[in-house]
Amino acid sequence: MGTMVAMSEDRRAEGQPVLSPWDMASGAFIAWRSGDAGAMDELVTAMTPVLWHVVRAYGHDRQSAEDVVQATWLGFVRLHETIKDPQAVASWLITSARRGAAAHARTARRAAPVQDETLHAALPHAESAEALAVLDDEASRLWGAVASVDERCRRLLRVVAFMDRPDYQSLSQDLDMPVGSIGPTRARCLAKVRTALTKGRER
Amino acid sequence: MTADDAALLEELREMWMAHDSPPADLVATMIAAVAAAGLDDEWEVLVLMRDSADGPAAPVRGLGTSRILYFTAAEGWSLDAELDEGQVRGQLVDFDGDLGSVEVVVETTDGQRWVTPLDEVGFFALRAEPTGSLRFTVRHGDHAASSRWVEL
Repeated sequence: MGTMVAMSEDRRAEGQPVLSPWDMASGAFIAWRSGDAGAMDELVTAMTPVLWHVVRAYGHDRQSAEDVVQATWLGFVRLHETIKDPQAVASWLITSARRGAAAHARTARRAAPVQDETLHAALPHAESAEALAVLDDEASRLWGAVASVDERCRRLLRVVAFMDRPDYQSLSQDLDMPVGSIGPTRARCLAKVRTALTKGRER
Repeated sequence: MTADDAALLEELREMWMAHDSPPADLVATMIAAVAAAGLDDEWEVLVLMRDSADGPAAPVRGLGTSRILYFTAAEGWSLDAELDEGQVRGQLVDFDGDLGSVEVVVETTDGQRWVTPLDEVGFFALRAEPTGSLRFTVRHGDHAASSRWVEL
């Protein structure tokens, strides 16, 4: 998994390995289960930013994203003993966050029955941070390229980018795609981004 | 995934991290939320009450090679376990529920894991030689009670 390798093999200038958030999470969870109460803070510190990005993939505004992240952690408090493999704690949290984000999106749609077309017209783009952030040139090109692909692609790419080992089975349910199509869809979505980048450079 | 795809995905990830980062106080807020939810209070619900390693050698067991652990749960039941020569066996006592729905999980800190159901009167037996530190979990329905790690 390319992203995982890239993160895991990143190294500090002093030569110390920088652990990925997923490695830090499993290490902290194992330490906590061994009786190190302080390790829970390390787990929360490592995984909260990852959960943030996964939830934001569902298009929630920042306040809603905070709410979903917090609900994910409170769910963890209730259900952590059901996590059979401590190495899988990051995947468990990410899956929980995805489902929370999807459920929150469904609730929000019911609460505000506005036509999609109206929303699209009202918002600069589904990923509003894109419009707000101050970007350098390269980031701006990337951001624009991602913004130009369809919502399903954006969501898939952002979720997959923050997963250690994508759980295709649960992803297929959450994203309403057959398991076998996730890999090819991811490749097609990346190709769309690449094409958009190329077009952007030609302008 | 091709190397090009992996590299592009990595670029995207870095872009999102740099330009849509979480609020500065989100981690601190989540740490406080988890602490306030009483996580530590809920966890150790299978409490080690007796450990043969802490007392005089078990004279009634002849060669005395076994290790006997006795746990109690807040719900009122208890778990007796014996580790001896490649076996972990024991019994769930005073459990007020469907014994058929119960699983006993034995885990070690180095990643070994065994799971077994109970028989009709609450006994279990596993072929296992755990090393390092070990922990018991008793699962029933949506509930689970785990012990702290016990050094072997």
